[in-house]
Amino acid sequence: MIASLVVTLDCAVAGSSGVAKQIAQIPGVQLCEGESFSHRIPILIDSTDPDSLEETTRRLQSIVGVAFVDVVFVHFEDEPCDNVVAPIGKTTGQ
Amino acid sequence: MSRKPDTQDGVVQRREFIKASAMAAAAAIAGGASFALPILADEPATGVDWQKAPCRFCGTGCHVQVGVQQGKVVAIAGDRNADVNKGLLCVKGYHVGAALYGKDRLTKPLLRDGDSYREISWQEAIRIIADRIQAAPERFAFYGSGQWTIPEGYAAQKFMKGGLSNNHIDPNARLCMASAVTGFLATYGVDEPAGCYDDLDACDVLIMWGNNPAEMHPVLFSRVIDRRSRGEKVTLIDIGTRRTRTTEACQHYLEMKGHGDLAIANGIAHLLIKNGTYDQKFVDSFCSFKAPDDANPNLHGKVISFAEYKTLLETYTPEHVEQLSGVPASQIRMLADLFGNRKLRITSLWCMGMNQHTRGTAINTMVHGIHLLSGHFGTPGNAPTSLTGQPSACGTVREVGTLSHALPGGLVVTDAENRTKAEEIWQVPPGRINSVPGHHTVKMWESFCTPTSEGGDIGTIWVQVTNPGQTLPNLNKLFNPKGDSKAGLEDKFLIVSDVYPTATTRLADLILPSAMWVEKNGMVGNSERRTQQWFKMVNPPGEARDDCWQTIAVAHELLTRGVEGMKDRNGQFLFEVKDADGGVVPIWEWEHYYDTNVDKHLFEEYRKFTRFKHKDLAPYGEYVKARGLRWPVVEHNGEWKETQFRFSEGSDPYVAAGKEIQFYHSSTHDDRAQIWFHPWIAPAEVPDAEFPLMLCTGRVLEHWHSGSMTRRIPELSRAMPRAYAELHPDDASSYGLKNGDRIRMESRRGSLEISVWIDGRGKPPKGTVFVPFFDETLLINDLTLDAVDPFSKQPDYKKAAVRISKVHA
Ligand code: SF4
Repeated sequence: MIASLVVTLDCAVAGSSGVAKQIAQIPGVQLCEGESFSHRIPILIDSTDPDSLEETTRRLQSIVGVAFVDVVFVHFEDEPCDNVVAPIGKTTGQ
Repeated sequence: MSRKPDTQDGVVQRREFIKASAMAAAAAIAGGASFALPILADEPATGVDWQKAPCRFCGTGCHVQVGVQQGKVVAIAGDRNADVNKGLLCVKGYHVGAALYGKDRLTKPLLRDGDSYREISWQEAIRIIADRIQAAPERFAFYGSGQWTIPEGYAAQKFMKGGLSNNHIDPNARLCMASAVTGFLATYGVDEPAGCYDDLDACDVLIMWGNNPAEMHPVLFSRVIDRRSRGEKVTLIDIGTRRTRTTEACQHYLEMKGHGDLAIANGIAHLLIKNGTYDQKFVDSFCSFKAPDDANPNLHGKVISFAEYKTLLETYTPEHVEQLSGVPASQIRMLADLFGNRKLRITSLWCMGMNQHTRGTAINTMVHGIHLLSGHFGTPGNAPTSLTGQPSACGTVREVGTLSHALPGGLVVTDAENRTKAEEIWQVPPGRINSVPGHHTVKMWESFCTPTSEGGDIGTIWVQVTNPGQTLPNLNKLFNPKGDSKAGLEDKFLIVSDVYPTATTRLADLILPSAMWVEKNGMVGNSERRTQQWFKMVNPPGEARDDCWQTIAVAHELLTRGVEGMKDRNGQFLFEVKDADGGVVPIWEWEHYYDTNVDKHLFEEYRKFTRFKHKDLAPYGEYVKARGLRWPVVEHNGEWKETQFRFSEGSDPYVAAGKEIQFYHSSTHDDRAQIWFHPWIAPAEVPDAEFPLMLCTGRVLEHWHSGSMTRRIPELSRAMPRAYAELHPDDASSYGLKNGDRIRMESRRGSLEISVWIDGRGKPPKGTVFVPFFDETLLINDLTLDAVDPFSKQPDYKKAAVRISKVHA
């Protein structure tokens, strides 16, 4: 799965390189090269493990100075959606 | 040269291209640049076809670009051209395409055969439904939702009220925003917000009343956070019963007890008057006062004077409000000072916290009332705005009127003139529409789960696009009896159209496989009066078919059996569609359903209703071009123009020149809105010695509502696999509980076993417990209360008394 996100920083840290460096250290995350952004940082996630999206988002959200994480683009590979939640005819939850 | 390396090169190049496109899209948004989507359209090598659609999930109504390749959705991008989301999506947007491809999609009609099901043909399924309806049309009910598209809801509405003379049609939206509707009606005489999302870009203060937009409407919240990150001063205030992710971003958190909001609203009004900081000019010009009429309870109450209003508020001093609500008096004063400052622009947001409330109508009117009393209304950034949880709670439920008392366009079945207007548009014989409201949701299901011999007058329910077996309150009374062989309900028949097996299909007698989202044409209406359109992009799997087709096919089957109601006054089929040459298109045959655009035909007919309450919609073609338009949409110099701020001169075309503000549907017929007094009243159930904790239920970021789509997505399911009970650490320690321990939770209505989460994502105060409702294997609604608001008939899912005990392994 390939996804791009925009990370919005708190006003107090906007423009500082510290948070960007922390973001860049998350495995599978790439920062946009050669451009400077003030309070919003565009990033790319390229991963064969679809779970890494949620994990990466959680890690981004836990960085001090990150105010919000939004999704911009996502491209699915041929990943099977194999969750079967409630087989027909079978009583669940009772 | 071998073929393989070429292919690998091609794959690598394509992958690099997708990555570059993805990064370019994010960089453009981060940098504030604009670019034209579709992102990949100028690269034919990718073979991806991009089209617009609103997101399938919440009522925010973000627009996405959907990338389709070889008949499959392969990519999603936020739509930069959409005003709602400006290119952004929340994390559910990662998976909105994947929601189509769960392995257990329903693909064949299934008929119950003992404990299992057998596949049947669509023809047989349609015949079975027609048999049930024909045998007892008055015992038939249709249960839908705010996930019905506008044409789907309109077809169901016309079929029931214009065809069967049967008003037993109601949506699950009754469970989520009915109190917002009655709040708007009681205040302005007409439903739906005056403001819009633009207020979020202009307000100085944003107050969230029992609302958690950081998780439930993330793109809207991100819009405000972005402003703050750019250095703008925006004060965020969270008034809630539990700390959430929203709280973390707020400067002020006011933790209240259940129903504390009623006291807080009165406390603010009390101080505005006492301090002389209310907006006397606004009030004198545009408002009247109302109070409940206890002798004759009704939605419009009785008129009172300003002096009477002031007297009724006298006891709501900050100190008394503190006692009732748990919010310190100093914070009540802070709120009153903010509202008393007319230089500030204040927007209020709310959703389930104020609506799922046995005094939901009251608190809705009271929050409108504070804005009116303080003059924080009608200019950008000054708005009381309710949000919806479903993509078309506004468009389909509130505007098409798929409620048991309503007709399209804000008309009601109890009004003879309204019925005549609808009969005229539908061209059905006079008197066809029944004047008696049908059963609202709770009554409908109670009646279905009551034996016929004991007065249960609903025999068949057809459910489309919703999951009542999980989302109704007090399931052991309102749903589960259907599965109990000793309940005396053998003659009851449950039909469920859905895309996946759910808690509802497990008790269904007949299951119909439905198409979803971009597998069909659609139109929806979001929380800010914005009507949106999309075209079918991929085929549904197997024999899954559009819900709208299912309704029309049953209607046609009844027509062929001579059921008079399926004909209009000219003897033609209710859903007759003609082609350009005047020939009838047999849209009841699936093979011909897409020979024409049925959505367009239905929408153009429905559009005639929208002018009655000045909620004018533009022709279908305008929505094809736009990323949604906010009604009223009126033609001006050959252009269709949307409306940002209703009732405000210069924005709303229906406000007369020189009026400044005009509430032109005022219930007092004098262009005035009503400022209501309602007393504080305790919740319907409060903790006591036997059930000492207050249960609140709600949603989580990862799952959309009952989780029937999002639990199919492995990544979301792994991220939030099971429901849990959030407890305060002190309560946990007094019960000897630590994280992950199992507890038995019981209410007077049901029980379940569940794991505890202490200091988790949400932090409930002492004496309360929170459980999300997304998990089909842990049905918290077995425990919730089915007490309803007297006017909206909406139940309260936020306050039920429970007890817990540790389960020892
Ligand atoms: S905020 Fe709502 S509409 Fe927007 S992307 Fe998220 S779920 Fe979809």
